[in-house]
This record gives sequence, C-alpha cells and structure tokens, in this order.
Amino acid sequence: MRVEIYDRLMAMQRSRRQVLKGAAGAASIAALSSTGVLGSSLGALAAEMSPDEVALRKAIVQIPGVGKGSPTDADWQKVGEMCLGATKANVKEGEFKGVELTFMGLNNQNLHDFLFRGFLKPWEAYTGAKINWIDLAQADYNPRLQQSIATGTVDFDILEMGAPFEGDVGSKGLMSEMPDWVKQQIDFEDLVNYLKPPVGTWDGKQLRVTVDGDTHNFNYRSDYFTDENLAKAWKDEGHAGDWAVPTTWQKVQEVTKFLKGKKDPLTGGDAYGYLDAPKPWGGFGFYFLESRATAYAKYPGQKAWLFDVDTMKPRVNSPAFVRAIQDVIDALPSEPPNQINADPNETCFSQWLGGTGSMLAWWGDAGSNAKTSDSSIVGDVCAFSILPGSDDVYNSQTGKWEKLASGPNFAPNCAYLGWGVYVTKRVDGDSAKHKAAWSAAAHLGGKDLSLWTVMYPSGFQPYRNSHFIIPEWVNAGYDEGFIKSYLDSEGDSYNHPNAAVEPRIPGIFQYYSVAEDILANTFAGKMTAQEGADAIAAAWEKLTDQLGRDQQIKLYKASLGM
Amino acid sequence: MVLKGEATLAAVEDHHYQISSEPISARRKNTGRWLLALATLGLVATLVFQIMTTHGGSISSLSANWRPMVYAYLVWSVAMGISQVLRRGEAGLQALFVLPAVLFTIAVVVFPTLFGFYIASLDWNLSSVEGPHFNGFANFVQLFHDAYYWNAMLNMIYYVVAVLAEYAIAFALALLLNSEIRARKFFRVAFLLPFMLSPVAVSWMIGKSIMEYRFGPAATLARHLGWSQPAFFANPWTARISIEALDAWVFIPFLMILLLAGLQALPREVQEAAKVDGASGWQGFWLVTFPLMLPVSITALIIRIIFKLKLADIVINITSGGPGGATDTVSSYIYRVYRDRANVGYGTALAVLYLIIIILFLTVLIRTTGKWTRDSTRGA
Repeated sequence: MRVEIYDRLMAMQRSRRQVLKGAAGAASIAALSSTGVLGSSLGALAAEMSPDEVALRKAIVQIPGVGKGSPTDADWQKVGEMCLGATKANVKEGEFKGVELTFMGLNNQNLHDFLFRGFLKPWEAYTGAKINWIDLAQADYNPRLQQSIATGTVDFDILEMGAPFEGDVGSKGLMSEMPDWVKQQIDFEDLVNYLKPPVGTWDGKQLRVTVDGDTHNFNYRSDYFTDENLAKAWKDEGHAGDWAVPTTWQKVQEVTKFLKGKKDPLTGGDAYGYLDAPKPWGGFGFYFLESRATAYAKYPGQKAWLFDVDTMKPRVNSPAFVRAIQDVIDALPSEPPNQINADPNETCFSQWLGGTGSMLAWWGDAGSNAKTSDSSIVGDVCAFSILPGSDDVYNSQTGKWEKLASGPNFAPNCAYLGWGVYVTKRVDGDSAKHKAAWSAAAHLGGKDLSLWTVMYPSGFQPYRNSHFIIPEWVNAGYDEGFIKSYLDSEGDSYNHPNAAVEPRIPGIFQYYSVAEDILANTFAGKMTAQEGADAIAAAWEKLTDQLGRDQQIKLYKASLGM
Repeated sequence: MVLKGEATLAAVEDHHYQISSEPISARRKNTGRWLLALATLGLVATLVFQIMTTHGGSISSLSANWRPMVYAYLVWSVAMGISQVLRRGEAGLQALFVLPAVLFTIAVVVFPTLFGFYIASLDWNLSSVEGPHFNGFANFVQLFHDAYYWNAMLNMIYYVVAVLAEYAIAFALALLLNSEIRARKFFRVAFLLPFMLSPVAVSWMIGKSIMEYRFGPAATLARHLGWSQPAFFANPWTARISIEALDAWVFIPFLMILLLAGLQALPREVQEAAKVDGASGWQGFWLVTFPLMLPVSITALIIRIIFKLKLADIVINITSGGPGGATDTVSSYIYRVYRDRANVGYGTALAVLYLIIIILFLTVLIRTTGKWTRDSTRGA
C-alpha cells in the first residue's frame, strides 16, 4: 500500500479492519482497471465498496462520458435503471402499484426535475408507483413554497428543497421523519461532515435525503496566470510580488484593476478580472456579496457572522461588509461594461463558460459545467481554489480589524448547504405511500447514482466522502489535474475550520431579497457603501420584528449549533 | 286566413311583452322574504362558523377552506333569485336576466377588491410564525416613505409620457398602411406580428439575445456604427430607453391597428374636399384627418396607457428593475415585495394604492380629453 493511500485512510479515521478491507478491495479494483491512473490511489475507494459496486460506478460514469456532449434523458434513465439495486433490496417488484405521488422541484437549466424524471422512470416501472410533477423556476420556488406553507395547501408528497428553507417547514412540522431503512440504503454516514446533523434535521428528527453539497469556491483561468505577457506587464507596472493566482481579496482587487485594457489569452478579446453579480436574482444574489465578505467578517472561533447571536442585530453594516460592498463598487469599472446588469446566472453560464473574465466565485456548477457543458470553452483553462482570504479580519467583539499571526484569514462561504429531497407529512397516514415516497427519495440520493450527478451537469455538487475519489473522475474522462483542483477546492471549503455556514432561519430569503434591492442601488451609485449597508441593516431589523425576534434568535442559535 | 294569422302574431307579441298585473299575494311575498332571510342567515352562519373553527380566525386558514363559503354563496344566490320572483312576480323574472351577472361580478370583482383592502390592512408575512394581524393604516404610512415605490412611480411617468412617441409612430404607420402601397395586406399582417409575441419571449429573444453586450447582433451593429461599448442596460437612461423601445415594439402594432380602423372609417369625401380647396398634404392631415381621428386616438391612447401602467414582464426578465431602480415599474416592485419577500399585507397595500391612483388618473384623463376632443372636433 502506498503511503498516500495509508495517510488518506488514516485521515478518514478508518479502523484497522476497514484498512484491511480497503486494501483487499483495492487489489480487486486494480484488476478491473485498465488505466494506470486508476491504480494509483485506490485505497479510499476500496475501503467502502464491493467489486460489484466498483464495477457499477465505473460503468455509470461513462454514460455518456466526459467530453462527449451533454447527457440526455436516455442517459438519465439508463443511469437510473443501473442504480436500482439498492431499491430492489428494500422494495418488491410492483409493491407500490396504485400509489400516486406528487413531486415538487426545480427546472433550472433543464436540470433537477428533468434528471429526477429520468432517474425515477425505471423506479416507477419496477415499483408500480406513479409520480406527478410540479416544476418550478428557481425564482418561483420560494414564493410557491411559502404560499403552500402559509395557506396550508401543501399539495406535494416529495419536495426538492434547500437546507435554508428547513426553518420554514421544520418550524411548522410539515415534514416526515426519515425511517432507519432509508438511512442505511443511502449510506448516510458517507455524507461529508458539514452536511450531517444539525443540517437536514429539525427538532432532532432527520428530514432530508441530501442530494447536493454547496459552497462557493474560487474559479480562475489558469491561462491568465501563466501568460508571459501578462506577467511582464504586471512587473512593468510595478506591482508587488509575482504574477500569480490571487489568494486574498486585496489581490483580487489589484488583479481586476490591472487587467483592464489587457487582452484575454484564450479568446483574444478584452481581458477581465473578477466577475461580480450586482443584479438581483431572487435573493440568491446576496450570496455573492457574502463570498466577498466572509473573509473580512468571519472571525476564527466565532460562529456568528451575519447577525449578533443574542439580539439578531445585523452585522451587514459592520466595517467588514461595508468593505466588501466598497470592493464591488471599486471593481465594477474594471469589469465588463454591462456588468451592473449581470446576475449570477449570467456571470457563470454566459460570461464565465463563454470565456469572459478570469476569476469567479460560484457554486461547483461552474467547475462541473466547464468540462461537460456544450456551451463551455474554458474546460481546459479552468482551475479552482477555496475562496480568497483577507490580510486582516474584523473582530465584531472588539470592533477592530486584526491581522492574524497565522496569516490571511480564510472563511469559505458554505452558501445554501445543498439541495435535498424531503418527504411531507401528507404521506404519514398511508404506509404504502410513506414507503414509496421515501423509497423514491432514497433512489435519488443513492450513493452510486449520486456519483453520476456530481460528475455531469445536474445542479448538484460533491457531498459525500466517496465523491472525492479522483480515479473515478479520471475514469469518467476528467483530466486528473483539473479534477484534483476542483475537488480540493470543494472538499477544503466543506472541511474548513472557519467555514461560514448558512443560517437556517425562517424567511432567510426575504433578508437576502431586500438586501439585493438595496445593493443594486448602491452599486448603481445612488448611495455610498455605508449608506447602503445601513439601509439593509434597518430593513433586516424591521423584518426580524415582523417575523418574531425571539423566535428568530432561537432558531439562529440552533442553526449555528449553539 | 292571412289576416287571422297576423292578428294571432300580434296577440302573441302583446302577450310576450305584457307585464303581468296580477296582484301578488301577501303569503307569496312573505315566503320570498323568509327564503331570502334564511339563505342570508345560512351565508352568515357559514362565515362565522368558518372563522370560529379556524385557528384564531386566521386569514390563512380561512382561505384554505374557501369551498363552504362558495357553496353558501351559490345557495344564497339561487335563493335570492327565487325570492325575487316570489316577491316581485314579473319584475322579479326580469331581474333574473341581470342577477347572475351582478352576483358573478360581486363574487369575482367587488368582493376580491374589498378583501384586498382588508388584506392591505394586515401585517402579514408568510414566514411569520405569528401569522397575520391587523395593523390599520400602517402599511399605507410605510409606503409613503418607501423610496423604491416612489422611484418606480416616477419611472411610470416617464413610461407613460413615452406613449405619445409610440402614438406618433403608430399613426405614421397607420397612415402608411391606409394609403395605396404595394403589398399593403402583407405589411398589415407583418406589422402586427410583434403584438402577437409574448413580452416574455421578446425579453429573451431581443433583450437578452439580440441586445446582449458581447455577441448580440444589435450590439455588434452598434459597435460598427461607432458605439465602442454598446451596453444597452448599464446606464440608467440607456436602460430606460431600451426597455421602452422593447415595450413599444410590442405594443405599437396594437395602437396602429386601432388607428387604422379609425382611418378606414373616415369618409373620403372630406379629404377630397380639402384637396379641392387647395389644402397641402400636411394641412390635409393636421387640419382634417387628425381632428377627425381624435376620438379614436384618445380611446387608443387610454387603452395603451392602461397597458403601460401594468408594464412588468419585460422589466423583470431583463433588468430586474435595474440599474439602481432606473427601469423599475410599480408592478415589478410589487412583484418583488409580494413574491420574493412574501410580504402579503404590504404588497397588497402597494397594489391597492396603485389601483386608486390609476382610477383617479384615468378619470381625470378621460374627462379632460373628452372635453378637449369635443372642443377640437367642434372647431374643426
């Protein structure tokens, strides 16, 4: 066994027995593998899986194969069919005949529900159940959900939902508790640590089958930072240090301003640095200011960073957030001319994948689509890291900026905490429906099927320890250097000791939405950064009072695990 | 035989239009009154029962159980009709012709409007644990200090003023299509096409594709024409004009078709007489055609302004109201407050005030233009 394999296993805190089991498995997988790369670090892979499972995973990730075009419905059905084994172990053929379920989810970029339909088609054929679909655009999702909750008209049995909404549904007791057999079927322990309880739970009850892991990572163009002309210009203009990928927001600002007027090494068009997303996006745009702010605002050892824990007093007008807002204002003149009208969807799927800009904070979709989307031209020049840090960090307790002895402060923004599949209480009174709904959810969150979803365009990012096995990605067709960079950025963000974790409080998107509106005005020059931040804080205070301050404080503490 | 037949027909017609003068017995009238009273009691009892049996009379629970009220209203409506006949005889029968329309209007227009006023008086956020509660005029006080609302209102003034430019273009096109040009029928259909398109499709196809900064054909053309950075939605006034242009492109055909219909209804003799009197082309238009077209023009403009005041879809899709609220409309702002922030009470208050403002504005507009039209046409 190689040293790095042993180290990885130790890092994963495997028992001696698991190590031995892993070594045995590694041998069998090495025999299956025809690539030299696959045999290089098989320990972690082998630790958990039987040869059959390894073979299955190897087969599904080649549908259709990375670089062979975007997957189609036929591919989704094929993957769903191949991954039915876990369902068959718990459900007899035709057991749910006559059962009808309603599934509410998203249709973003023709993904999410579109994939679920394909994955569940073979499940329906096997179990006999029928699923009706409610498809929603991202921006319509929150209002539809809130109306259903508020008017008592929950008309769906299965729900695709993000963890931030758990406060909304959990506090009203609308969800069904996950049965133990589902936990076993989906191999619950395989989840990365930050997605384990309290995430996915309410009042101690496990509610969700996780199908996604979310964090903002830092996407950058490797060709920019290896370009000799740019390096020379950087020196000639007297900038400090070598021409290199920025690791702090201070450097991101400097590089963004430096690149104005230069030429893009790939497209030959105008070069640009960081891409901000100033246009509102149904509340989701606020995450992008957060990503600029967390390194300034999240002080190591302090859990809270968005509100004061005991009072819910917003910290959005603290010097940390004001600096982040000012950074956007300062950077916008160096960004593409129409940037003020760019929302996150535009920055990622139009600008970034289309070759505009050299730095972008986004969810992992930006990386997975870079290689697998038909519209991407940056697949070969795209690399990743965790979000940049800051030379100094604002300590809310002392009210001062501090330079840490350990160097720059890093605080990855674990924004949104990923999508999950939930089952509503509607099914609890009917045992067949209950089992069928949970079986469908378990199928979608299955360990093997999830490997496919995190490798191909799906809207979902790695969220299990078993998703970080590089040889499996290489086997699918990914370049090893590319995927190592990508997975490291994701895994290092999830496991970062100073990660900024999303507050799961009711109405969180209302806070974000009102902030987006004010930020749009601030970025357009109608008010200063401080005035904008103060306006957001005032609106948030009002909203907290409207939603019930005591309740919000209680739930905010709970979401931070306090 | 013929005479006899004519007499029979006359008798039948007399009978058909004759209102029965038979006296209605007091007992029958009382039955009618009791029936209506019972039905009303049932309606009120259903309402009270529903409020009492829901959680603290919460509006959300009430709206979740709307069916009993609908059934009670239907029963009451039928009882109301029967009562009319019992109490008023033939006159009651005649009332039955109008009553369904009246009751339907009450159900789907009057009641929702009044209910909207009630919701506007609530502090109701869908995410609030406590649910809705009455807060009087607080929402209206708040909206008077809401800079985003008044900013959107100011934008609406710009958009409404721009209707005049749309009208001028539409009039020119209508005159063109009313003249003897080749392929006139083809152009009539072709010019109408934008109006047949969904504004949402226009937003995506034109606003987000053709006018896209990097690769959009309109942006490429603009670069060729010397505009180095053709960002159509980055600067407040450019964005406003771009949104207006898109909306105008969709709705000018609507104005044009109304004006064209008006032009075609004008007697040709008037223009011919003007020509005989030596009027130039411009004089023929400005002193003859235009005044005669004023009634049609005013109608077309008022309908167009009503459409304009509801502008939202293009703005939501392309700019979300930006940059910095420059393109925001009242409807798109209400949409954000209501939908993204689930602030039902305040969002409804915004909509209610907007409704009142629109009603007042249109009333003044109709009266003023009506008087002006009468004076102008009389002068002409």
